[in-house]
Amino acid sequence: MKKILKLTFILFLICAVTAGILGGINELTYRRIEEQNRLKTVKAYSAVLPADDYEEIDFAAAGIPASIDKVTIDKISKAANGSGYVVESTFSGAQGNITMAVGVGSDLRCTGISIIKHSETSGLGANAASTAEVGVNFRAQFVGEGAGIALKKAGGNIDALSGATITSTAVTNAVAVSIKAVSMLG
Amino acid sequence: MNIKKQFKEGLITNNPVLVQLIGMCATMAITTTLFNGVGMGLSVLIILTCCNVVVSALRKIIPNEIRLAIFVVIIAGFVTIVDLLLQAFIPALSESLGVFIPLIVVNCIIIGRAEAFCQKNTVGASFFDGIFQGLGYTCVLIIMCVVREFLGSGRFGGGLIDIANGFRFTLDGTGGGIQIFPADYGASILNLPFGGFLTLGTLIAVMQYALKKSAKKKELAEKEAAEAAEKEVEE
Amino acid sequence: MAEQEKKERIILDVAYQPQVRTLRDTRRLMLDVIIALLPALCAAVWQFGAKVLVTVAASVASAVFFEWAYRKLLKKSNTIDDLSAVITGLLLALTLPPTAPWWLPVIGTLFAIVVVKQLYGGIGKNFLNPALAGRAFLLASYALLMGNFSVPKGLSGVVDGVTMATPLSYLYGENPLPAFFTPQAMFLGTMPGTIGEISALAILLGFAWLLIRKVISWRIPVSFVGTVALLTLAFGRGGEHVNFMLYNVLSGGLLFGAVFMATDYATSPVTLNGQLLYGAGCGALTVLIRYFGGFPEGVTYAILIMNLCTWAIDKGFHRHQFGVSKEDIAAAKAAKKAAKEAAK
Repeated sequence: MKKILKLTFILFLICAVTAGILGGINELTYRRIEEQNRLKTVKAYSAVLPADDYEEIDFAAAGIPASIDKVTIDKISKAANGSGYVVESTFSGAQGNITMAVGVGSDLRCTGISIIKHSETSGLGANAASTAEVGVNFRAQFVGEGAGIALKKAGGNIDALSGATITSTAVTNAVAVSIKAVSMLG
Repeated sequence: MNIKKQFKEGLITNNPVLVQLIGMCATMAITTTLFNGVGMGLSVLIILTCCNVVVSALRKIIPNEIRLAIFVVIIAGFVTIVDLLLQAFIPALSESLGVFIPLIVVNCIIIGRAEAFCQKNTVGASFFDGIFQGLGYTCVLIIMCVVREFLGSGRFGGGLIDIANGFRFTLDGTGGGIQIFPADYGASILNLPFGGFLTLGTLIAVMQYALKKSAKKKELAEKEAAEAAEKEVEE
Repeated sequence: MAEQEKKERIILDVAYQPQVRTLRDTRRLMLDVIIALLPALCAAVWQFGAKVLVTVAASVASAVFFEWAYRKLLKKSNTIDDLSAVITGLLLALTLPPTAPWWLPVIGTLFAIVVVKQLYGGIGKNFLNPALAGRAFLLASYALLMGNFSVPKGLSGVVDGVTMATPLSYLYGENPLPAFFTPQAMFLGTMPGTIGEISALAILLGFAWLLIRKVISWRIPVSFVGTVALLTLAFGRGGEHVNFMLYNVLSGGLLFGAVFMATDYATSPVTLNGQLLYGAGCGALTVLIRYFGGFPEGVTYAILIMNLCTWAIDKGFHRHQFGVSKEDIAAAKAAKKAAKEAAK
């Protein structure tokens, strides 16, 4: 009995000291981490719709369904300068899920897209997110497109990535959905 | 325990990844750019050294029955500290390593050294053990990163070195690295987990070959010395 | 001298016991395979021009070189005379698109010969088909180059461009199959595809040669292609199920894979029923990958996965010792059990 109490006491002591130190470190860093996370969002969003800050809105309250055309809408944020909205959505590509941020201006035209997370085939679908010329050119095509956005073969203006029709179709569809969602905000 | 021997053990003869074969999951998963490799290696080195020192300092008051629980608490504490600091000060590295920083808690290298070394040795020896084992780990990560990055995307120092505006090191992971041949020619499968298995397997094979060869050489030298001594006795 | 050389070559035991010793050796078998591949190569030259020969030559030369260099470097016996490296190089080249640059097969054979074949002990000890593993390596590394198919000369009515999609990517994509892809055209070889796969006729000629020379048995190719045909007929898409089945059988390297890749001795079962199951497994996986996977082709991964199952299949269809009845085996088992009990 005495031994168990002793062991418990030692373990408790070490846990308490560790917890205390962690609490201190957390106190020192949490503001900075929050700031870094905000900067990250601002950086990702400002690439698609320039603004100093973004405010997340409750899109469910505005009557927008959580999923349109197999595209799940994660977040809609309003640009602080009133120039439009950024829609973050998740949808399935050729290999796995793609998470993408789409900027939609107040004129309901796409202001830019940025792929946040994906697991597409490298050399084919992964080019959609690439920082190389092929990816930059692909994403640049979406700027200025409106609700009727479509791939060239479906009568639109978007050139599909070579060898990656599924990825290109999925991205184009998600941009269309994002524009639709913002239009529903009114 | 002398420092020179510990140095040799940590980097070569008892290298954590190539000889003890522990901590291999993260090794294969994150070694796609030099930025990741150096970041992960140094994080493990710091955590390992801190844990070693603390465990060794407390070795006389840690009861044998609950030692593993205490090790885990200490390790988890240091890993969380490093995780928070990285998030606050090098967010790019924290993002690119993702879950593999918190996963250091279950990295066998750290609990393995606590159990096998620090329990029985002084604080000083444990400190150097942490540094050298950590260096051994970092070296393997760097070799794997360099090989995989070169063969996979024809690049050196991705994320870490920026040559666009003069040669400089970048801590935010934005450096493009030095392109040695066009990325289109790189076998991009080496950037996938398969490449990790292939590269690590090859490295372990090379290491074992080298160790066996040097052991043979040593044996031969000893044998010759013994024979010479015998001859002397005969004379 | 010649007599001695013959003795030194390995005599292959390709069937399950009881076995008969013959004078057939690896070199002879491999020569037959090379002869069987010639029609497919001719069809490729006819449709894509002589430039495909550059790819083939680079592939064969590099395969032989890597085999020689590895054995030399590790001070092992020289095995390039058995021609197995030539076959690996040839097979790999025939699974590349005609637009492949010359260095692509060199990287592919480096992986196929050194990693897949030699690191596991050389000929007969590899557990994956080296040429196919090389193709899978290239497919994962250079997806764009591996999907670049040039327009064959015999195809008329193609709208524009020098490269085009294969029939299979139309079949499983969103666009309808263009009218110029008729089953007849695909049978003869006027369709885009890899160097070796385009002409079903040429592959069947090679198959006939291999059967006549008794290099392979009919079991694996027939059960493989038969399973794909049955499944695509039963679960057809579009209006005409018979045509859908024909397109599936005639394209995507199915025949080439079934005849030349799936029948590799070292990586396919030796038991007769095992071979039927192996072929059916390849066929079922091919259809599954084509229906639900990301790549429309499927044959490569189907065969590689079944390669890994070969050992288990052979275990499952283990045939008892020749000349021993079932009762004998039961008695032996009982005796063993009794001995174990006694030991306890």
